[in-house]
Amino acid sequence: MNRSRGWIVTGVALLATVAVAAGSLALGGFDPWEAMRALVSGSLGSPTAIFSITLVRAVPLILTGLAVALAFRAGIWNIGAEGQLYAGAVAGVWVALAAPSSVPAWLLLPGILTVGGVAGAAWAVVPAALRLRAGVGEVITTILMNFVAIHLAAWMVHGPLQEARGVFPQTDRISETARLPVLIPGTRLHLGFAIAVILAVFLWAWLRYTASGFGIRAVGASPDAARVAGRIEDGPTLFRIFLASGAIAGLAGVVQVSGVTFALYEDFSPGYGYTAIAVALLAGLKPLGVVLTGVLFGALEGGAGAMQREAGVPAGWVDAVEALVILSILAADRLIRRGEA
Amino acid sequence: MTARPPAVEARGLVRRFGSVVALDAARLVALPGEVHGVLGENGAGKTTLLSVLAGLLPPDEGEILRDGRSVEIDSPRTARRLGIGMVHQHFALVPRLSVLENLMLGWPGSPLQLPVDQVSELARNLADTTGLAVPLDAIVESLGVGERQRVEIAKVLLQEPRVLILDEPTAVLSPPEVEGLLSLVRRLARDGAAVLFVAHKLDEVLSVADRVTVLRRGRTVLEAARQEVDEGVLAAAMVGPEAARTLVDRDTPEGGDSAGISGREGGLRARDRPGGSHAPGADSLAAEPVARLQEVWLGSDKGGWRLQDVSLAVRPGEVVGVAGVEGNGQRQLALVLAGEADPTRGRAELPPEPSFIPQDRRREGLVQEFDLTENMALRLHHRPEFRKGLFLRWDALEAWTRGRIQEFSVRAQGPEVLASTLSGGNQQRVVLARELAEEPEFVVAENPTRGLDVAGEAFVHDTLLSLRDRPEGPAGIVLISTDLDEILALSDRVFVMVRGRLEPVEAGPDLRRRVGERMLGAS
Amino acid sequence: MSGLLDAAIVIAFLEAGVRLGIPLALAALGETISERAGVLNIGLEGAIIAGALGAALGALDTGSPILGVLVGGLAGAAVALVFAVFVVGLNVDQIIAGTAITLGGLGFTAAVYEARFGTTGTALTLPTLDPVSLPLLSAVPVLGPVFFSQAPTAYLTYLLAPALAWFFYRTSAGLQLRAVGEAPDAAAAAGVRVRRIRFVATVAGGFLAGLAGAHLSLAYAGTFAEGMSAGRGFIAIAVVVLGRWNPILVLLAGLFFGAASALQFFLQNLGFDIGYQIFLAVPYILTLAALGGWVGRARAPAALALPWPTRRRGA
Repeated sequence: MNRSRGWIVTGVALLATVAVAAGSLALGGFDPWEAMRALVSGSLGSPTAIFSITLVRAVPLILTGLAVALAFRAGIWNIGAEGQLYAGAVAGVWVALAAPSSVPAWLLLPGILTVGGVAGAAWAVVPAALRLRAGVGEVITTILMNFVAIHLAAWMVHGPLQEARGVFPQTDRISETARLPVLIPGTRLHLGFAIAVILAVFLWAWLRYTASGFGIRAVGASPDAARVAGRIEDGPTLFRIFLASGAIAGLAGVVQVSGVTFALYEDFSPGYGYTAIAVALLAGLKPLGVVLTGVLFGALEGGAGAMQREAGVPAGWVDAVEALVILSILAADRLIRRGEA
Repeated sequence: MTARPPAVEARGLVRRFGSVVALDAARLVALPGEVHGVLGENGAGKTTLLSVLAGLLPPDEGEILRDGRSVEIDSPRTARRLGIGMVHQHFALVPRLSVLENLMLGWPGSPLQLPVDQVSELARNLADTTGLAVPLDAIVESLGVGERQRVEIAKVLLQEPRVLILDEPTAVLSPPEVEGLLSLVRRLARDGAAVLFVAHKLDEVLSVADRVTVLRRGRTVLEAARQEVDEGVLAAAMVGPEAARTLVDRDTPEGGDSAGISGREGGLRARDRPGGSHAPGADSLAAEPVARLQEVWLGSDKGGWRLQDVSLAVRPGEVVGVAGVEGNGQRQLALVLAGEADPTRGRAELPPEPSFIPQDRRREGLVQEFDLTENMALRLHHRPEFRKGLFLRWDALEAWTRGRIQEFSVRAQGPEVLASTLSGGNQQRVVLARELAEEPEFVVAENPTRGLDVAGEAFVHDTLLSLRDRPEGPAGIVLISTDLDEILALSDRVFVMVRGRLEPVEAGPDLRRRVGERMLGAS
Repeated sequence: MSGLLDAAIVIAFLEAGVRLGIPLALAALGETISERAGVLNIGLEGAIIAGALGAALGALDTGSPILGVLVGGLAGAAVALVFAVFVVGLNVDQIIAGTAITLGGLGFTAAVYEARFGTTGTALTLPTLDPVSLPLLSAVPVLGPVFFSQAPTAYLTYLLAPALAWFFYRTSAGLQLRAVGEAPDAAAAAGVRVRRIRFVATVAGGFLAGLAGAHLSLAYAGTFAEGMSAGRGFIAIAVVVLGRWNPILVLLAGLFFGAASALQFFLQNLGFDIGYQIFLAVPYILTLAALGGWVGRARAPAALALPWPTRRRGA
């Protein structure tokens, strides 16, 4: 892709989004400046805001964003990151609660992270198999799996995994040994952030420098040429990528449990898996870019709470803005290409 | 005697696509009752000119007159109202609908009604008057190529056009079918229509046109009556005097019959071969085949067989030509030979990495979004010399690409440019460079010159032949092509694909006619 | 247990199945129109929830459920219009745009609802669209109470399916629409206005989805809740596939899925005490199973979800 065009598209898209967002606030009777001010101060206005709100919020967004970017890059429409995240969270919390207290942290933590990743991958198996064996479009199947996961998690916290005293639909809190250590003392920023950044760098290097990464890029760019000219069998490659994408989303879920919530409850995710689509697209599906856009959306969502409290803007508005980002990127890209032609 | 105005006249038409000027003040005058041949090689602007006349593209500048009056053709509907009908090169039919539904599509009238009776009646009348009968209830995708073209023509004729445009109608037909089409064209002109007949084969146009217009690089370089010109003059107008000889050799029947062996002086493809025509060189007869298919059957998902009992041994130092009308299993044969598809029954013995030049260079030959180095890597990513464990050695790949760009005269700034920025001919050079640079022993070429101009075509042919004639380790080449002239010009042995069967054609005189007849057995 | 009691339970189950199936069938019929024209509207869910909210607000402000239904339809059409502008007008990727529309629709409706009613959590009471028992027909044993004592939107749906079939196969406009979905290049060469047809088809689909949403809030639940569409838009898309893009079969498939959803109540009544959340997952699991089992045989309109005019890759 034309390098400078990528930046122009992003820039135009963001400008358009800000304009429409501000406009919609005004139409709704809210004061755009007040709302924006609350948004910015709530997300970036203080060290607490930056480290304990924005960056913490960015972790699941970066991870799911990487999962989505990887899949989309290979031509797989994985809209199921949300369900895969839940699967990872459920599996992770289950193992964390079931593990005997004698297990040390250095063993337990990698253990539950792995379990979460495997669960996320497992959650992608059904849509992947349906696509590869029966040619069923994965958009619908992954979305359906999301609903199944959400209900499954709800059932778990009402039933088998419910807290010991049985009052609220949530699990008990996991033990200290199962919690991700904090990176900066005094904040809530946990090791998950480092994991996310390292994973992004790893994916970037892998796609760019390895033979298998090249194969994925080829299959995503042109499955026909990859198959005929490159003799790369798209079937097995796509299956593996689909599962890898699910695994990363599953990792996002267990990291969220282990680093932030320390328990599982209903409506555990405010839609990270869907926001991830905006995160990935805005980053041009590039892993390193996802870190930046993940932080951007972390700020957006993190500041939304302040916006609601101080300016009275309903939380749902942020989702609408995120959708707007996606649409503006798409539109800007088409319009700019037309201008070039 | 009043002179009738031209049925259609184009003056000073200009059309650009980005920085490419497809039409550069082009001119065309077609009179009613004449068959008017429009000639030019690939990329000269013929299709663009026709698309403008048919309302598919607006011109950037210029004027169009219909019966002497200036008109603006802004859509296919307008063209239709003006009495202009076009039969497209790639048929404009909806495959999953029936013939009748396709005929009714776009028929003026109430949106809530289907003119079933009206159109059926008109189709029957058409069959009676012109002999052009089409199966109304058949689904288009079940029809063969020749029949689909007849449906396309019927669709246009039902509108009773006064200007009929045929865009490369003979490209997919077998020789007998071409004859049928040409006589239909003559009859339509006798009935008073102006028939614009676009082709890039000289002999076809010469046999049927009353007047010709030649386009070269978007300009009209020649307008003349049939009696005033011959092949030499036309060829010189199309490609310039130096290359004209090659064109004449390619496009005229006499050159074709001897199939590229003797009878060609000074041409780029002259070569001496012991053993006479159609026999592989004496040495290679004894050599082990480079590739062999034994009783290969290939099934299709819908049941039925795409390849039936195909046996073929390809020896080093020969070109095996496979002719045939599209849709008879050539694609499947190419895939099996290239090792991309496994036979359902029978055996394919192939070298480890057959070189494959696929017919769809844009979608299968190259990844458009990749740069040239990455496109080369498609073939090389397994090779140990370009790998360091899991990693690719991009520096080595880039150097290799640079070398091949030079060797194969690819016109590109460097290995870092995207494939999509290259012209069709250059893209094909990249594909050739990738597949042939390592001097392979077995090459499968599928319609390798489709859409290329004469220079590009000559390059491909020369490259293939030089591989075949290589003193140490000559290659065995399978050339699968719907262009009969190409097959006859290059092949040592000729086969025809008919309904999934590979049938050999005996060497000897009158080869072109015999192959043509066998091809017809297909559709 | 007497035989009569068993029959009553079965009839109640079937009636609930139809009641739950109607919004699915209605949305699916709308989606059939747009998909036959080559447009895959993943944003259907957004149109449904917009219809649900639009109908709720419309009924609340006018006091008339019928007007509410109309407003709901228009709201769904508006969402589809936005989608069409991007996908038909600007030729952007249908999948991504559709996902954005759904996310935006869900967020936007939540925001509007909160802005107007606050976050108190007390459910809204709406003037409801009550069931109307058709004379004579509702007296037919079994079929009567099941099919003919439903909200008026149900009757609309029953009539819509054959009407659409007639439209597709027996009218010139329907032929053009099918051609646009199969081979837009060929249709354009024949003088058909591809873009216009796709636009209209998409908006019409959105209108029907809006009606489905209206049925949800005014006839089914009697209230509005954020996210109440609960994935029905996606199930509707699957219903279109299962119905092989044929209106009559789509209606039947939609009702079948309604029955599958009603199963949860049926099973609960039978005393399965596993916890109701698991049953909520049943419709989605069934949809997955059906897609896996049936699909290979049906063929989608050939140009479905492909950009038109065709975009050169990398260009």
